[in-house]
Amino acid sequence: MTTIPVSWYLIVSALLFTIGTIGVLVRRNPLIIFMSIELMLNAVNLAFVTLSSYLDSADGQVFVFIVLTVAAAEVVVGLAIIVSIFRTRRNIDVDEMNLLRG
Amino acid sequence: MSGPALIISFFVLAVASVASALGVILFRNAVYSALSLILTLLFLAMFYLQLGAMFIAIVQILIYAGAIMVLFLFVVTMLAADPRDPDLQDRLPWQRGVAAVLGLVLVGALSYLLLSGTPLNEAARAHGSEALSQVVAQQGNIQAFGQALFHGFSFAFEVTSLVIVVAILGALVLGRKA
Repeated sequence: MTTIPVSWYLIVSALLFTIGTIGVLVRRNPLIIFMSIELMLNAVNLAFVTLSSYLDSADGQVFVFIVLTVAAAEVVVGLAIIVSIFRTRRNIDVDEMNLLRG
Repeated sequence: MSGPALIISFFVLAVASVASALGVILFRNAVYSALSLILTLLFLAMFYLQLGAMFIAIVQILIYAGAIMVLFLFVVTMLAADPRDPDLQDRLPWQRGVAAVLGLVLVGALSYLLLSGTPLNEAARAHGSEALSQVVAQQGNIQAFGQALFHGFSFAFEVTSLVIVVAILGALVLGRKA
């Protein structure tokens, strides 16, 4: 087992999550908003692995595995949506995406 | 690795991962942001190694830093032709200050909860033959992970395959020429 307190890892995870949240709030480029969401998912993964090691149970690692596959699926669909929006509008500013129709 | 070496490596990794995460949201160029995110994911993989989760660390590098980020870079370079950078014509400039204040509130609240030890419950720790360290010592890391996945979470594992099929179909439908 590690000699580092669990809360230190969890604070790194909280910092990464907050950076991801600020990225979603501040940036207007949907690709960077997506990357910030990935950052938040990874921050949560770090918390899962930390608590899996602390609780001495593999369940946290299984959750990370499932979060990973869901993140991959989310990225595939999200990037496909961004590409198809770019094809129809030639512009990817999230402030201008306010219509559901093309 | 133990003692001071472990603590020094923890702080180096913590500073490096937070700095590269800041790079993701601060770089103007989306390609630099993507590369910075790859760096963050690699540092997180090293955190996982430090925590003894070898399989998750390797999967993180292969799937996240490899497959997902290559997809990101493809799309970023494909859409980089747009000369109007959306971030340069921000219609709501006051949002930045509000976001920074709310971010400080979030990190303060999370750190307070974590330092006061709210999520940590000694009684929840696994003991005896259930304990991960026991299984890893007897059978190895990947075997321990596989047992947890296929014994406890086999239904979730099967549902994951459905999620992936739906994602493939969705990408096909969205990507086809209209």
